[in-house]
Amino acid sequence: MLEIRDLHASVADKPILKGLNLTVNPGEVHAIMGPNGSGKSTLANVLSGRDNYEITGGEALFEGKSLADLEPEERAQAGLFLAFQYPVEIPGVSNMEFLKAALESVRGAQGKEEWDSVTLLRKAREACKQVSLDASFLKRGVNEGFSGGEKKRNEIMQMMLMEPKLALLDETDSGLDIDALQVVAKGVNSLRSPERGIVLVTHYQRLLDYIVPDFVHVLYNGQIIKSGGKELALELEQKGYGWLTGEEESA
Amino acid sequence: MSLALDLKTQTLASARRLAGDSADLGALEAISFPERKTERWKYTSLQALADGHLNAVASGELSQPLPALSEFVVTITNGILSSSTLPDGVSLKQESPTVNGLETPFAVYNSAVAQPVVLEVAANTRIEQPIHVQIQSASDVPAHCNPRVVVQLNNGAEATVIEHIHAEGQSLTNAVTALITADNATLTHYRLQGEHASTLYIGTLVIDQQGVSTVNSYQLMTGNRLRRNDVHALVSKSGAELNMKGIFVVRDKSHVDNQICVEHSVPNCESDQNFKGLAGESGKAVFNGRIHIHPGASGTNAELSNKNLLLNAGAEINTKPELEIYNDDVKCAHGTTVGQLDPIQQFYLQSRGIPAAEAKRMLSLGFVNELLMSLPHEKVAEWAQPWLEAELTHASPAGDAA
Ligand SMILES: Nc1ncnc2c1ncn2[C@@H]1O[C@H](COP(=O)(O)OP(=O)(O)O)[C@@H](O)[C@H]1O
Ligand SMILES: [Mg+2]
Repeated sequence: MLEIRDLHASVADKPILKGLNLTVNPGEVHAIMGPNGSGKSTLANVLSGRDNYEITGGEALFEGKSLADLEPEERAQAGLFLAFQYPVEIPGVSNMEFLKAALESVRGAQGKEEWDSVTLLRKAREACKQVSLDASFLKRGVNEGFSGGEKKRNEIMQMMLMEPKLALLDETDSGLDIDALQVVAKGVNSLRSPERGIVLVTHYQRLLDYIVPDFVHVLYNGQIIKSGGKELALELEQKGYGWLTGEEESA
Repeated sequence: MSLALDLKTQTLASARRLAGDSADLGALEAISFPERKTERWKYTSLQALADGHLNAVASGELSQPLPALSEFVVTITNGILSSSTLPDGVSLKQESPTVNGLETPFAVYNSAVAQPVVLEVAANTRIEQPIHVQIQSASDVPAHCNPRVVVQLNNGAEATVIEHIHAEGQSLTNAVTALITADNATLTHYRLQGEHASTLYIGTLVIDQQGVSTVNSYQLMTGNRLRRNDVHALVSKSGAELNMKGIFVVRDKSHVDNQICVEHSVPNCESDQNFKGLAGESGKAVFNGRIHIHPGASGTNAELSNKNLLLNAGAEINTKPELEIYNDDVKCAHGTTVGQLDPIQQFYLQSRGIPAAEAKRMLSLGFVNELLMSLPHEKVAEWAQPWLEAELTHASPAGDAA
């Protein structure tokens, strides 16, 4: 469903991705690991269409369509979801109002039945419960004044409601204590299905104890320099990245 | 002849027609109309008045009546009282007390010719329901009207007044509104202004707190061909409290010039101004918030905030706090900002499938939402919400860049 071929991308005219290849098929869970600054968030941002993240070479196809041709909202409508590394605070726009607008647009585009406000509220409350977020968060401004962990859980809550075909999770584990990590992992695992692809971007192996990936890739200096099965994550945990990158590990 | 001289000649001639040859027009004869370089008018061109609005009085009818936001409604049409239904405890007179704080030549002209509507709330009386004062005007040709509303709260009176101004066609509303409060009075005032874009408005709102009183004023307005909004607040008895909140939205080629002046002349009063502005397309807005703390007004606590959002590059907002403080022992916090929609917030919404235009609308509404949510009267909030939503959705050309 996701086919990335020799992808080159720049952020504010600075080349970051330098020939990246990755294929994700339905039902697969991929983990992308790599040291800070290697381009993991850049990849996630390029795929979801953020301004100033420009594809300069190669291609990224989602279900055969070039992502470069789609606006960010069209990518979401097509079934792509990015859980942000740094979820954005939007005071004055309530979480519920936000979910309503998002779901109306995405479900409408996908030809799914429309949820009336009662159904929406019920579904949203259920999703909150699954990520241990109090339903009162639905009334608050989007991420406004949420703690780091609450923001991450809010991302997962949105993801559960949006039912994406392909979910990209950017460092969803960072800043979470072990309980919150388990809650998030449970949410992600509940979405695992033969039709859905999941890409976990993470810095640490810790998350992968709870969400066991089918494939692990190491991203370094804008390229995938090694791929393997879940055992690669364990190896990275023991040895760090230095043996692959030839650099001293700083993290 | 310059436009300023023209306007003076026109208003004098009009005043003689309306008030009679025997009327005392000394004040009008003595005052000058603004020139292009007049500091207080530098952001408002009066060129539109060259169309001759001041030569004729508006006599048209609205295409449809305004909705009643209360059981109690006073209607002023083209400057003349046309109907009124008032609760017990509120009396209506047509003789105006002297109104302090009127300074612009337009207000002076209004003083010379207006047929005032004076609403007086009896002492120690609490009026539950708001009084909806509809100030309406219409004209197919350039013409004007001179509504004048005075709301007077006697000792211990409590009331809510919704001042709702509407105009259509080529009408210029040249208005004076005065809110006068005695000791222990509490007044909630709304000003709703969503006139048609082709109309003009020049008005002065005087808030004269003669007594230890509380005034809460909410001012919601869109721009039109010319909107000049002078607010002159006289906080003149120790212990008085004034809260003003407002939202102004200018889209397309519309214009709003807010000139707000709060004068603290006695010790220990509080005033708070919190205005939010939005400008899109080639809209232009001005906010000049003046706080004048006189010698002797120690213990004053005056605050001013004006945050603005530019929806695109062609729009313009000029905002300036102007502080004149002749006293050390005061608190005076002020802040004005002009910003743009945050591209990261917009991307976040779009990344959830929300189309760009809708994302902008949500963010713009979010920007003023806090203020909108704080409106204490449900009927007003019910009017304001769709009004603002419509303002924020309307006329935004497809794909306009942030
Ligand atoms: N908005 C930006 N402007 C300039 N440089 C950026 C921007 N975002 C990321 N970068 C740079 O791109 C490189 C990769 O960053 P990123 O993708 O965030 O790495 P990771 O997520 O793997 O830690 C870094 O050198 C970073 O400084
Ligand atoms: Mg990152």
